[in-house]
Amino acid sequence: MLLSSVLRTALSHTVRRVRRLHQTAVRSGAGGALFVHRDTPENNPDTPFEFTEENLKRIDAIVKMYPEGHKAAATIPVLDLAQRQHGWLPISAMNKVAEVLDVPPMRVYEVATFYTMFQRKPVGKYHIQVCTTTPCMLCNSDSILEAIQNKLGIKVGESTPDRMFSLIEVECLGACVNAPMVQINDNYYEDLEPKDIEHIIDELKAGRVPPPGPRNGRFSCEPAGGLTSLTEPPPGPGFGVRADL
Amino acid sequence: MASAAATRGTSAAVKVVKPIFSRDLDEAKRRVRELYRAWYREVPNTVALFQLDISVRQGRDKVREMFNKNKHVTDPRVIDMLVIKGKMELQETINVWKQKTHIMRYFHETETPRPTDFLSKFYAGHDP
Amino acid sequence: MLRLPVVSRALSGVAHTKGYGAAAGNVRTAATTASNLVEVFVDGKPVLVEPGTTVLQACEKVGVQIPRFCYHERLSVAGNCRMCLVEIEKAPKVLNINSVGKSTHWLLWLAVMVLEDLNPVPVAACAMPVMKGWNILTNSEKTKKAREGVMEFLLANHPLDCPICDQGGECDLQDQSMMFGSDRSRFTEGKRAVEDKNIGPLIKTIMTRCIQCTRCIRFASEIAGVDDLGTTGRGNEMQVGTYVEKMFMSELSGNVIDICPVGALTSKPYAFTARPWETRKTESIDVLDAVGSNIVVSTRGGEVMRILPRLNEDVNEEWISDKTRFAYDGLKRQRLTQPMVKDISGQLVPTSWEDVLTRVAGALQGAQGKDVAAIVGGLVDAEALIALKDLLNQLNSDNLCTEEVFPMAGAGTDLRSNYLLNTRISGIEEADLLLLVGTNPRYEAPLFSARVRKSWLHNDLQVALVGRKVDLSYTYEHLGESAQVLQEIVAGTHPFCKNLAQAKHPVVVLGSACLQRDDGAAVHSLVSTIAQNVRVTSGVQDSWKVLNVLHRVASQVAALDLGYKAGVEAIRNNPPKVLFLLGADGGCVTRQDLPKNSLIIYQGHHGDIGAPMADIILPGAAYTEKCGTYVNTEGRAQQTRVAVTSPGMAREDWKIIRAISELAGITLPYDTLDEVRNRLAEVAPNLVRYDDVEEANYFKQANELSKAVNQTLLSEPLVPPQLTVRDFYMTDPISRASQTMAKCVKAVTEGAQAVEEPSIC
Repeated sequence: MLLSSVLRTALSHTVRRVRRLHQTAVRSGAGGALFVHRDTPENNPDTPFEFTEENLKRIDAIVKMYPEGHKAAATIPVLDLAQRQHGWLPISAMNKVAEVLDVPPMRVYEVATFYTMFQRKPVGKYHIQVCTTTPCMLCNSDSILEAIQNKLGIKVGESTPDRMFSLIEVECLGACVNAPMVQINDNYYEDLEPKDIEHIIDELKAGRVPPPGPRNGRFSCEPAGGLTSLTEPPPGPGFGVRADL
Repeated sequence: MASAAATRGTSAAVKVVKPIFSRDLDEAKRRVRELYRAWYREVPNTVALFQLDISVRQGRDKVREMFNKNKHVTDPRVIDMLVIKGKMELQETINVWKQKTHIMRYFHETETPRPTDFLSKFYAGHDP
Repeated sequence: MLRLPVVSRALSGVAHTKGYGAAAGNVRTAATTASNLVEVFVDGKPVLVEPGTTVLQACEKVGVQIPRFCYHERLSVAGNCRMCLVEIEKAPKVLNINSVGKSTHWLLWLAVMVLEDLNPVPVAACAMPVMKGWNILTNSEKTKKAREGVMEFLLANHPLDCPICDQGGECDLQDQSMMFGSDRSRFTEGKRAVEDKNIGPLIKTIMTRCIQCTRCIRFASEIAGVDDLGTTGRGNEMQVGTYVEKMFMSELSGNVIDICPVGALTSKPYAFTARPWETRKTESIDVLDAVGSNIVVSTRGGEVMRILPRLNEDVNEEWISDKTRFAYDGLKRQRLTQPMVKDISGQLVPTSWEDVLTRVAGALQGAQGKDVAAIVGGLVDAEALIALKDLLNQLNSDNLCTEEVFPMAGAGTDLRSNYLLNTRISGIEEADLLLLVGTNPRYEAPLFSARVRKSWLHNDLQVALVGRKVDLSYTYEHLGESAQVLQEIVAGTHPFCKNLAQAKHPVVVLGSACLQRDDGAAVHSLVSTIAQNVRVTSGVQDSWKVLNVLHRVASQVAALDLGYKAGVEAIRNNPPKVLFLLGADGGCVTRQDLPKNSLIIYQGHHGDIGAPMADIILPGAAYTEKCGTYVNTEGRAQQTRVAVTSPGMAREDWKIIRAISELAGITLPYDTLDEVRNRLAEVAPNLVRYDDVEEANYFKQANELSKAVNQTLLSEPLVPPQLTVRDFYMTDPISRASQTMAKCVKAVTEGAQAVEEPSIC
């Protein structure tokens, strides 16, 4: 009797935990942004957004890459352009993209909400994406995350008050060889130690963009402990060919 | 061919019908009298049993009226059929398969006939 | 040990496929020599289909229904619900030496075969075109398992709220989970919840129930032409909606309720009012526009609960407009339920039929010939029209007018081809050029417009418009606003003439709105000339009709067929002593137009514009309450049926007129509906040939006669009366009495939030 009740409590605990886990997963998805638009003071259809002259030229070039009558194909690149110009994508920018490409706004919203790299909420000037997926986690990405949080005084999903930095946790960015790593805007910073990331943030604060790449002296994704195979110079032509040929 | 036509002819001429109960009119009349008597005797019981607000005499008058309604019938088969129906009614009455309201329906005045001409139908309702 | 059964199954599979191929081989060759059809097998049953047919269509052909959610035959194929998965046994490929390559070892080929055929993946039947010799297994173990699996996933996030769901009883998910689903759930995790959207006063959304079949999205973008709906987000969080706060305000929006396979989109006015199994369905016809959409009226306890579309490929396919669908609550409001007479103080007081009919009969007896006239409105059935015409003719009067004007100059209404949509609605699908004149088909005839869009989308129909610029759901070339453009086209000076000359199947549609103008005859004559010229240049055969008139009211064609005069001009010129208004709610004639002591009799079903000025009111039946004949703008006779009895003392219209005639001593010779229809057949036989369009083809003669028209064109632009969606909702007594339609008007003017909704759900 007692045992069963204990079991039941334990079970219900697990179930509850599972559910909580489930919800966090939901909340962290897509940078915490909803998949419906709500007008806010900074994000509403009247938010000023106009493509710059340069970008309009770029759009022309992008559109020209696609066949006649398939302007809609340029949705992703033009949205990206808009995001690069504005830092993130307010609803007015999406509407502008729809107008420029002559597609219904809804078709643009569909694309913008599907791809997680389109930021539909304001992000900092430096958008820090920390990978915490298994390989990075095994290489202690938690310490990196903690270092960033301590350094900037923000939690995951938040931005600094001066809008310089924003921080999110992301799933694998495909640089597992160089784990742990973070992506800051377009740059990958790899093989990090907490002090490295602190240094990077300091540099960014000072207005300098530190060079991307591994921080432990590696050139790229070569083995960390030196080569374990293919250590000899490559054999010449005819290697391994039968002597009678 | 000819014989077939002849057979048909004879069958038409001498029409032998199968009697229901009675072979001739006398026998049919006897059955009617038996039914009438049974009803006549049952009326007091019915009045008591169903607690009808009529006298026995009124009930017997109604029985007589109902029999008289069919007095023009002469075909023994039809008479037999009516007797059968009468017996069914009687049985239903004796066994109290009927209720008071069913008995009292014998005393209903005839219902108002449904309108037949266009204008009365129009006044009467949507789709009489 | 574990592998053994797999291997043996594999081997038996090889034997089976080979044997099957050999057996089927003979049949196949025999069939393919006959035609270029492809033979496939559905559960072993052979069927010949066109190349390119999908697996699902092939199965339909032999009468096997494949469960589906996202597939809809009138929408593009999405293939995203996966419910239609079926197993397919492919015919073994005939060894094609060239394609495989001579040097290839036969064992390799065998291995390919084994891999390909022993692991037949279930395929989505709706999206997969059939190949020669396939055997589609619609009931195999694998198919069943696939369906059960898909169903389990669909139900994983679907709420178990069937008891409070309005779709209950007509829900595809409910039905199919009974048929194909598992009897228990293995899902213990939390269910997804999606917030509901407010997309207007017509459609209620409970988005948690959505299974993301995207039918509504495809409907909105393909049929309605309003790209407002879409999917946002991805994965578990994907949802269907508008992303921004926005109403889905299309004139065809209600159809998404029908195509939604679950209860995510339901009817707001119908919410929580009735269940489908407790309603009685009556097949009927819509009369709120001139298209004559086929509808099913769902009733319960003498009340219309809702109106649904009925399939008619020639008229409305399977869609109906929002007005047709939602204006039914107007049938319960503002109704005239008892006869009324104006007393000395000028108040209308209720009275009995006997009294009122005697008064009317007395008035008619006193007035003969020119002293009596009648005007008929837009919702009157042909039976009432013929009865009224017979009644007035008996009184030696021929002052019978319709509210809608049609120019009588030239051939006028004498030639039927002059006032019909001759090409027919389905004929638009064959056209390659459409010239609209002074009309906004999107709101005047939404289903005609939907056909135009269909043709525009699939057949490259070219559309041009003369008249005020309006928002149509297809692009068009705007030629100009005024009627002078028509003159230019006739003269050949307009640049559009080039396009006209190239058209192979041209269609010209003249909106009935521009015939209401003073220069209606001139406009009609011009359009008729354009049509005739184009017909000559295009060189189409005689059966192709070019000239079309798009009417706006349901009764007009029947009235013109029966010989009513179009327009009330005659009555204004000769004011009668007794004026009989039969459902005339257009307000064409007012008290001021008539002599002081004249008597106005109004017969109709709504206390709208016509009733307040009447001296005597005779309550009639609305279209759901009578068996009536209506002729749509094509000239197609269709009949409504009695779905509910008319309220109070209201009677069918022809019966009222028949009763008056008896009291007036000029009894009309018909007592029953059949007799009235026999009389109709005497006057215009096409009116009782139901669901049939009577051909009319006197364009040339009509055009010759129209040349006699000598009217000057006005310089005002041709403006159709319904310019925006706001003008669409309230156009007739029924929709004007409808609260739902009023909410729609409010929602489009002030936004969806302005409409108050009940707090439940």
